[in-house]
Amino acid sequence: MNWQRSGTIVLLLMPGLGLILVMIGSVFYVAVMQSFGFFNLVGEDQFSLEHWRDVLDSRAFSRAFQYSAYIATVSAIGSVILAYPIAIWLRRPFRGSLTVSAVLKAPLFVPGLVAAFLFLNIVAYHGVLNQLMMWLGVIDEPIRMQNDRNAYGVIFLQIWKNMPFALLLLSGAVQAISDEVLDAARDLGAGPFDRFRKVIAPLTVSAMQAALIIIFIGAAGDFAFQVTAGPTNVQSMAQFMVFLKDSFGRWNQAAVVGVCLMGLALGGSLLLAIASRFLLRGGRW
Amino acid sequence: MVTLSETPVAAVRRRPRRHQGNWLNRILLGLLLTVCTIWLVVPFAMAVIWSLVDPQTGWTYPDVLPPSLSFARWVEVWTTTALPQALRNSYLLAPTVAVITLILAMPTAYCFARYDFPGKSVAQVLTLLPLVVPGFVLAIFFSSLIFNLGIYSRFLSILLAHCVLFLPYAIRIMTVAFENVQDDLIDAARDLGASPWARIRVAYMPALAPGILASLIIVFIQSIEEFAIAFIVGAPNFVTIPSILYSYLGYNFVRPNAAVVSLVLVVPNVLLMLGLERLLKSANPAQAGVKG
Repeated sequence: MNWQRSGTIVLLLMPGLGLILVMIGSVFYVAVMQSFGFFNLVGEDQFSLEHWRDVLDSRAFSRAFQYSAYIATVSAIGSVILAYPIAIWLRRPFRGSLTVSAVLKAPLFVPGLVAAFLFLNIVAYHGVLNQLMMWLGVIDEPIRMQNDRNAYGVIFLQIWKNMPFALLLLSGAVQAISDEVLDAARDLGAGPFDRFRKVIAPLTVSAMQAALIIIFIGAAGDFAFQVTAGPTNVQSMAQFMVFLKDSFGRWNQAAVVGVCLMGLALGGSLLLAIASRFLLRGGRW
Repeated sequence: MVTLSETPVAAVRRRPRRHQGNWLNRILLGLLLTVCTIWLVVPFAMAVIWSLVDPQTGWTYPDVLPPSLSFARWVEVWTTTALPQALRNSYLLAPTVAVITLILAMPTAYCFARYDFPGKSVAQVLTLLPLVVPGFVLAIFFSSLIFNLGIYSRFLSILLAHCVLFLPYAIRIMTVAFENVQDDLIDAARDLGASPWARIRVAYMPALAPGILASLIIVFIQSIEEFAIAFIVGAPNFVTIPSILYSYLGYNFVRPNAAVVSLVLVVPNVLLMLGLERLLKSANPAQAGVKG
């Protein structure tokens, strides 16, 4: 490759990839430096591990970390588990299959905040569900379901919003498996479960990993669902970070939470992806 | 799906099973459509009804439907809140973001589609970075960065952040579009003495046009719906539609107002998505025409 060609390639990559690297790189740099006491908006810049100590020692942080890790893991696994059978069912087109797949994918295009609002409408104290159950005589007075302590509402919303995404990725992978392969497995006596475990799962593992990673990262960094529908006795990592920044401008501590959130998103999603590959390949790599 | 490699024998062998599968499919289909009604239709219908509840009479148990409907809430939200301002901001921001993102994405996409170089796959993975950084981390430390740099224009700050955030979509779509450009058409145009501009018009544009439109629409919708950056960087003066909606959902849940703003946010985007789908469906025949 000559210099002119290399130069052209670098110039072409600058406005797109270059801008992404500069921006994401600087945001990452600012977050890390701020967590160590630099880039202060007020006061002197000075290296310090105090912010890390303060945050890591606080109970609110460990609760937020565990809570976000829990929500992200359950949402990612739940979305994939729901999407798999649907993707397999829709593998071969039949009458109405296009409509089904369009309806199932619709939540992809509903913004998170709107989804949260629609959900609140259903489960609110005077929402449809309570009214329906009272009308049916199941309950005498409305049950409090909004902001439930076990975060079922948040998990429901995460799965509602993310299952279509998993379905999109898995449908592509499942449809790429040729009929011959599945017919051969059937002729050799493999039942539906074996066909899934020994043929479909290993062949679609990459798509599934991509779905797990993207959903895990999104759910770990969730703010909107947590604030609107989540439990009030615990904060998610993003919520905790915003809270620290907004209360007395504790930017350095917010930066520690931000760096930990990035670590959780990256580490957790990779761990999940590796574990699922191991599991779906029957304990082999 | 019938694949090209499928043998007639395999197709015949499958036939008896299909008959048996029909029943199961019908039951599953019926079940799924019921679930989807609860999944989509009921929530949206509720949003429409709540936005039309007459504030004079209200809507309480045991009324199954509101006693009277009116547009009073719509008028109230429009005249007493910052919604008109938010609409202006969002609908000024989103098209600007869409156009600038497309312009920024074009050279990189061209490079990915038409050049081979060492490290290309790494470069392609790196373009996905904005998608894997949690939105609020990006928003908070981007706002810290711009404070440190002394940039105080909210509009420009959000514009820049949105462009970077949505570049991965535009780059991916335009890479596919540039891959569809036919080399022999470019050569033929050159051989026939076409000027560079004429070559772009006859050889590039027919293949690129659907990609350009798809990229514009997708980035536009994403920008209208984006919440984290608009909320953190824009606060407190620069409002967009999602930040208004958030203010009605948080600690003071004002249901009828939230219903109005939700619909204002969703309906135009659904119409755009439907347009996009038609566009993508019609993209293939256009491609075939080019290849011909």
